[in-house]
Amino acid sequence: MRFLRVNMTDQSIHIENVPEIYRTLGGRALTSTLVQAEVPATADPLGPGNKLVFAPGYFTGTPLVNTSRLSVGGKSPLTGGIKESNVGGTVAFSLARLGFAAVIVEGQAPADKTFLLSIDADGTASLIEAGHLRGMRTYALAAELHRQYGEKKSITCTGPAGDMQLLAASVQSTDLDGRPCRAAGRGGLGAVMGSKGLKAMLVDMGGKTAAELADPESFRNASKAYAKAVREDEFSGQILPELGTAALVEPINAAGAFPTRNARVGQFEGAEKISGEAMAELIKSRGGQTTHKGCSQCIIDCSNVFVDKKGEYVTSSLEYETIWSMGGMIGNDDLDSIARLDFLCDDIGLDTMSTGVAIGIAMDAGYRQFGDGAAAIALVEEVISGSEIGRAIGNGPDAVGRHFNHDRVPTVKGQSIAAYDPRAIQGMAVTYATSPMGGDHTAGWVVAQNLEAFGGTIAPMEAEGQVELSRDAQIHMAAVDSVGICDFAQSGLATEEGMGTVHRMYAAKSGRPFSSDDWKALGEKVLKAERAFNRAAGFTAKDDHLPRMFYTEPLPPYNAVVKVTDEAMEATFGF
Amino acid sequence: MQVRVRLLGTLSACYRGQYPPAGIDIEVPAGATVADLVDATGIRRERVAIVTVNGLLAKADDRVPEHAVVKFMQSITGG
Repeated sequence: MRFLRVNMTDQSIHIENVPEIYRTLGGRALTSTLVQAEVPATADPLGPGNKLVFAPGYFTGTPLVNTSRLSVGGKSPLTGGIKESNVGGTVAFSLARLGFAAVIVEGQAPADKTFLLSIDADGTASLIEAGHLRGMRTYALAAELHRQYGEKKSITCTGPAGDMQLLAASVQSTDLDGRPCRAAGRGGLGAVMGSKGLKAMLVDMGGKTAAELADPESFRNASKAYAKAVREDEFSGQILPELGTAALVEPINAAGAFPTRNARVGQFEGAEKISGEAMAELIKSRGGQTTHKGCSQCIIDCSNVFVDKKGEYVTSSLEYETIWSMGGMIGNDDLDSIARLDFLCDDIGLDTMSTGVAIGIAMDAGYRQFGDGAAAIALVEEVISGSEIGRAIGNGPDAVGRHFNHDRVPTVKGQSIAAYDPRAIQGMAVTYATSPMGGDHTAGWVVAQNLEAFGGTIAPMEAEGQVELSRDAQIHMAAVDSVGICDFAQSGLATEEGMGTVHRMYAAKSGRPFSSDDWKALGEKVLKAERAFNRAAGFTAKDDHLPRMFYTEPLPPYNAVVKVTDEAMEATFGF
Repeated sequence: MQVRVRLLGTLSACYRGQYPPAGIDIEVPAGATVADLVDATGIRRERVAIVTVNGLLAKADDRVPEHAVVKFMQSITGG
């Protein structure tokens, strides 16, 4: 496997064999250790000293299903710390099949230059001047690039928000239908890509490089067992194909953990109208698709295609987190406007979560009425107008809080929380507070333990056991993000037997013994690198705290506040 | 007493009869618990992970009031 280094300052490109220290790493492990090693922690995130690293997971490109995750890493302009945000679609598999373990974008193009990076079927790469594409929306961009370079190109790009270097800008990537609707949304990495002068990376989808497997037969046998477990699991085998991630709306709302109207309450009275069940019924009645394959190597098909009343495409895929951020968080119970907002964010290149929370704060400050979907659409459109409020929305929740001098801003390290209120699921309080990523749900999702078995195997609104639960989940997820297994295919590793299968695959690929201790060590290695970077960037223990609103405002209907203390948060990691 | 049970996710496929989208009205003895109600639908308890009674989370041994609206939900995975 090889690294592709692209220097935007002088437009030079170098291909090198993966150095020994990185040979058994992929995904987040690769992006975070590379960024920690090569980016000065005090570098300007939007300057030439930052790097943008694209890395498929360690298992991506192998026969294992649901491993088409691409980690995107760098120093975040939103948080000021290290960032890994991952995305599905086709790019990770395509890069792996061309034999690339990572693409490392360095330096900065002259301010008046914009480029495309084209990685061709023979593994060669080139930078192509593309000033005329700067500012173009992603759907028009993808159509233009497919027309010019052919349909068999995976496209990973910025929208106008990234070109404007706005802090909530996403990196968008194409799905199996060629639509730029998959997002590495969090942390403003689209702004980093924009700052480099890189509009898009085109990756040929015809790569034939076989994955390097030390023991191919052992890997194949283990991967078959993994796929069987994913198919047989109720959530990944039945619920996700039927309802998608929107299946979470009802249970999370029931738990009083669905942040509503800028997290003033934990249950949304309109939840039934925007639930997975309601969405599936609406999509089916209009002739859309409730079961849709969005990513290479996927056997779950949790994606959907949302269509309007005329049956015409609106967006794909409408997911739980967006239904929350553009629904409950802004008091909006209209699926059509939520779908339109999802499309607009993909098209402009914005993180739907940061953007929805930013709008929720503006509404909380009285700028617009909660529940006004049309006003939310107008606000997202305004992002690229250059107006003061538009720029504030595009720069995310903290910027909107400053704009209105409004202190109810649910962010950690500058990044918004996700669709689980930390007061009602206290393990998520720990994850949001202590993740090196800032407010991030995927970093340590401990919701099931807090709700299942008729109300949780751990008391969701109590502090006891939550720090340990979140810490273990964060270490585990850092390893999952490194191998490139999709979150929703974790059913394959949910049991001890399933984890054993993963260990066997690691050993079969690397040619080295691999145990549960090695899995934990992998996760810890990632977190240690990330925390070390953040400390060097100036973060202290105080940055592992939640906003005061979560301690002082009881959340209806259970009237819970966060009980995990600042001291307990600070002690989550011993490194 | 009568309660209204709504089956979410794909649980309706587990119901022994025809499941109407608005939910099913089920007769259970006064004082019946959430677990009793799950049994009354014929759905195996391990298929049900989360239950709400009148919109609030309920434990397996919580009593169900008359005319309550009860939602059954399945296990969840996420991130």
